[in-house]
Amino acid sequence: MDGAKVARRLTVLALLFTGGAFAASLLVGRYPIDWAALADPASMDRRVFLTLRLPRACMGLAAGFGLGAAGSVYQTVLHNPLAAPDVIGVASGASVGAAAAILLGCGGALTALLAFGGGLLAVGAALAGAGLSRRRDILSIVLAGIAVNALAQAVLMLLKLAADPEKELAAIEFWTMGSLADMTPDKLAGALPWVAAGLAGLALLRRPVLLLGLPDDEARMLGVPVTGMRRAALALATLITGAVVSVTGLIAFVGLLAPHIAALLRRGGRAGLLLSGLTGAGLLLAADVLARSLAASEVPVSVVTSLLGAPFLFWLLCRKEAAHG
Amino acid sequence: MDNGLLVKDLRAGYPGRTVLAGVNCTARPGQITAVLGANGAGKSTLLRAVCGLLEAGGVCELDGESIGGLSTRERARRIAYLPQRAGGELALTGLEMALLGFSPVLGLLEQPGAAHTRQAQAMLERLEAGAFAHTDMRQLSEGQRQLVLLARTLVQPHRLLVLDEPDAPLDCRHRRVLLAALQADAAAGASVLLSSHDVNFSLRHAHRLLVLGQGRLLADLCPAEAAEQTLADALRAAFGPVELVRHRGSWLMIDGEEP
Repeated sequence: MDGAKVARRLTVLALLFTGGAFAASLLVGRYPIDWAALADPASMDRRVFLTLRLPRACMGLAAGFGLGAAGSVYQTVLHNPLAAPDVIGVASGASVGAAAAILLGCGGALTALLAFGGGLLAVGAALAGAGLSRRRDILSIVLAGIAVNALAQAVLMLLKLAADPEKELAAIEFWTMGSLADMTPDKLAGALPWVAAGLAGLALLRRPVLLLGLPDDEARMLGVPVTGMRRAALALATLITGAVVSVTGLIAFVGLLAPHIAALLRRGGRAGLLLSGLTGAGLLLAADVLARSLAASEVPVSVVTSLLGAPFLFWLLCRKEAAHG
Repeated sequence: MDNGLLVKDLRAGYPGRTVLAGVNCTARPGQITAVLGANGAGKSTLLRAVCGLLEAGGVCELDGESIGGLSTRERARRIAYLPQRAGGELALTGLEMALLGFSPVLGLLEQPGAAHTRQAQAMLERLEAGAFAHTDMRQLSEGQRQLVLLARTLVQPHRLLVLDEPDAPLDCRHRRVLLAALQADAAAGASVLLSSHDVNFSLRHAHRLLVLGQGRLLADLCPAEAAEQTLADALRAAFGPVELVRHRGSWLMIDGEEP
């Protein structure tokens, strides 16, 4: 079948799955909602729906889509199928920002802002460090990212050492587990413009970003200013990831897995931003529904994504080995 | 002004290592110019330097314009380049890969249209790679991948076509297919500059030979017109003891080393 037709059909299927997961996210929860009561402006059902259930489902959609799309960009641009936000330090930078905010006794909004700033700062440092190298290639970005990551981890450990074990340390640990549980309309409104801006930028640059998946000389000779475009693509993907993790905490595996699942569904050929994003959204929404339903008390969504992601990676590994004989 | 490629006193290399030391050569429109030389002679470095992919000293002009002065996009509309081991690990079908050749002429938001798809498909068919249009590049053999990548390079708008060992992964049949495509490209007015380890392919089909040795141009000659001794001396300087024999009006090089 023609590649474009396959992509269209898969996109429709992914849309249906994500729509179903979004609906399930609205329906599932500790508080049973009487849907007829939603019309009453004074009802508790309406308040729960508008201030808790709807923001949570919307954030699941935006975060999953953003992480999936950003993951596909990281993997393409860094020529690394295992590239995830932490390769260039965004997740660990955000963790340092969040931990510092918790130690300083900041509220949720300021914690999100500092986490966002920490993520961007870490990636900025990695890209600046790579710029000092004479090679200015992918390897220098990855090595600079590893260095920044190690530095951020050291700072995070120092902050944890200084934290009060009863409250602050627990809060830092809980933040790094990631969750959509405390989502509010304010948090959603804080993150959404950045995610939308990053996605719009990536959509604009989708052709040059795709060409960055080729070896550098080929991309240059097809008209892409490689160094600048790679930095722009990484900055936009980081904007999305930083905005998401600043309000949700670290969400494991979605950015890594969504592009692989999308590529598997596509069975050869390009999965693209849209399909990777929709897969990420469906995955995160489904994981969040499971996180709310699996146990008596809610488990952090990262636990579920990791439980789903780790076996998938094993399966992917076995499948590749089988394919290579 | 269609003068083709003009290279004067080209010096190029890599950090801490000079590979080319003052090369002068040309590649004319309508001609196939083959670069020959032993491993490490500087063939790939010459091709990369001509494309402006290496920091280089000297002059490199295409149709009277300095290649180094062109923007990345302008250069991509004039020069199509295929390096060795190209394509990377991108998950694209053969047709999607071939369509990337139109990137230099597409706007930021523009996607390849039906006309581009028809051209890319036609080029794939011409290179006997039409069957790979909907196959993932990662599932193709080296030779099949090379045909798809050649299709991408040939559909890219260009005045100069630069190919680094394009025939290396190809069998005898597909070398003929490649040759027909290169001859058609040259006939359409492009300058074709390629490197090859297949000396006999170059002796038979190239209009000019550039023989490199240790970063210097040992000879720049026309194989159809050069005297036997001149040709043999140039090839011996590059490859050691070799002999030339006539076959159907062309020269053939054979290894002169006693077994």
